[in-house]
Amino acid sequence: MSDAGPLLQVRDLTAAFGRAGAAAPVVKGISFDVAPGEAVGFVGESGCGKSVTARAILRLAPEGASVTLGGRVAYRGRDLLQLPAREMEQVRGRRIAMVFQDPMASLNPVMTVGQQIDDMLRHHQNLSRRAARRRTVDLLGLVGIRDPASRADDYPHQFSGGMRQRVMIAMAVSCEPDLLIADEPTTALDVTVQAQILRLLLRLRHELGMALMLITHDFGVIAGMVEQVFVMHRGEIVERGAVDAIFRDPQHPYTRALLAAIPRIETARRSS
Amino acid sequence: MGAGTMGRMVLLRLALTIPILLGVSVVAFMLMRALPGDFAQAAAGTTSISAEALDTIRRQLGIDRPLWEQYLAWLSGALVGDLGRSFVTKRPVAADLLPRFLVTAQLTAMAGVIAFVLGSATGLASARLRGSADWLVRGLNSLLLAVPNFVVATLIVLLFGLYFPSVGIFNYTPFMQDPLANLTSLLLPALSLGLTVSVTISENTRAAVLEVSSQDYVMVARAKGLPRRAILLHYLVRNALTPVITVAGLQLAALLGGSILIETIFTIPGMGQYLFDSVTTRDYPAIQAIVLVAATVVLLMNVAVDIAYARVDARVSYE
Ligand SMILES: Nc1ncnc2c1ncn2[C@@H]1O[C@H](COP(=O)(O)OP(=O)(O)OP(=O)(O)O)[C@@H](O)[C@H]1O
Ligand SMILES: [Mg+2]
Repeated sequence: MSDAGPLLQVRDLTAAFGRAGAAAPVVKGISFDVAPGEAVGFVGESGCGKSVTARAILRLAPEGASVTLGGRVAYRGRDLLQLPAREMEQVRGRRIAMVFQDPMASLNPVMTVGQQIDDMLRHHQNLSRRAARRRTVDLLGLVGIRDPASRADDYPHQFSGGMRQRVMIAMAVSCEPDLLIADEPTTALDVTVQAQILRLLLRLRHELGMALMLITHDFGVIAGMVEQVFVMHRGEIVERGAVDAIFRDPQHPYTRALLAAIPRIETARRSS
Repeated sequence: MGAGTMGRMVLLRLALTIPILLGVSVVAFMLMRALPGDFAQAAAGTTSISAEALDTIRRQLGIDRPLWEQYLAWLSGALVGDLGRSFVTKRPVAADLLPRFLVTAQLTAMAGVIAFVLGSATGLASARLRGSADWLVRGLNSLLLAVPNFVVATLIVLLFGLYFPSVGIFNYTPFMQDPLANLTSLLLPALSLGLTVSVTISENTRAAVLEVSSQDYVMVARAKGLPRRAILLHYLVRNALTPVITVAGLQLAALLGGSILIETIFTIPGMGQYLFDSVTTRDYPAIQAIVLVAATVVLLMNVAVDIAYARVDARVSYE
């Protein structure tokens, strides 16, 4: 349980859909560590199991799907896969938070964005209604939403995609988690907004000192954001290492193929 | 949406009900007179009355005049709140109708509450619990859907009449006389009226909850670490409510229609029974008044549904 150890230690994690026995594995025994405050990147093509891995850490599964998880996901030495449901609720959002791929679908359409941050703060931190409200407005300001006090009372449909992702990020960091999992946080956004959201994540990571697990299908997003990279292919980690080393000297043919796809995005980002 | 927009929406909807009511009254007027026979013949029944005597009755009631003249006379009265006099009782129709309207309003309100509570509870249970609970609810729903409500009512009458005669299902008691006896006397009729509607609400609730369950924001809520109860109430139920409210509101017409049969079966002195009797005797003023009141209630309920809809879901706007 020492602070020197890894924040998150994943060992032989497997995930399979379907009834136990007849289950087809989509994550096939992956292992990795995330140190406190460290930023790691997961890169891989669509369908390779990135989202399933990210959700497995928080033991989340899509509604109606039966997912069988195996292996070990140790957070500060405690295996999350063995935790009682009640204690798992204390980890979700509070210790490990997550930002999802599609900001248009991530917010509850019948609650104001302020209420959706409030309910989390009040649940995890026992804040009073007024204190939670103040903190919500601060958070919205922190993620760069102008006039946060009045925007907090707006509904999600009154925000653009980029703004909604900012709201999702404000929500995710509201309880100052130790680890933020960002599952393709910019895929649904256009290029200029992508860059802004990435800069925001980078800034918050340093300000709050939290670890970051950034998931993406394109190497262009990883550059300058993380220290370690894990390349995923068909449910396995096929290459891992420091981000510079992998950019300079990729070993796996699949990694080379992924790297070959970046230049276009790099130029776009430099010119913006 | 702001209070101003909402207020304007409500006013607009209310204004729109006026032409609809006019149309309804014209149609009801024409349809009644298109039926074979009239009050004079119905009153005469099988006794033989001379043609002159029948004509005298018609002249006294004014139903020998041209249709448009009759309609305008009726309309000009209705506009100032005078619904005419019943051919049968010779009393103002409004006075005859009001107590019966209140009885029907109570019956449909009770049936509506039963249908909504039963329907949304079973729908929610079958969507959340899945497995055998789902099968049970859906099986019962299919069964109820296949059996019309007058059959359910007749079965209840038979069952209680044969085995529990002490319950006394035909003892309709006015509310003012004994509120508790009044409620119990309407419970079984309300149940048989509400069951069919509860099926529609149940099926719609189930579909809405399943649809909402698969939305990303529900998984986001779980990722936030919110307790199950909060997710159920604020994320699932509130979102599933919007379509269910609409369906429930539209079912009111079905309840009013069903009450005609149910009141006749259980001998409840409500508007349904009144309509049945009035059609039998061709009591035109009474029929006109009943149709007008029923249409007004349904239209007002639709406005209420729109308001409820807008309150639950901020995306709904009426520009
Ligand atoms: N609900 C589900 N039921 C069955 N199989 C699923 C389900 N969700 C995902 N899968 C399978 O799991 C595999 C990994 O999916 P995952 O969503 O993790 O991919 P991903 O790497 O996140 O891709 P993307 O970049 O498109 O988000 C896919 O092959 C998919 O077919
Ligand atoms: Mg994904």
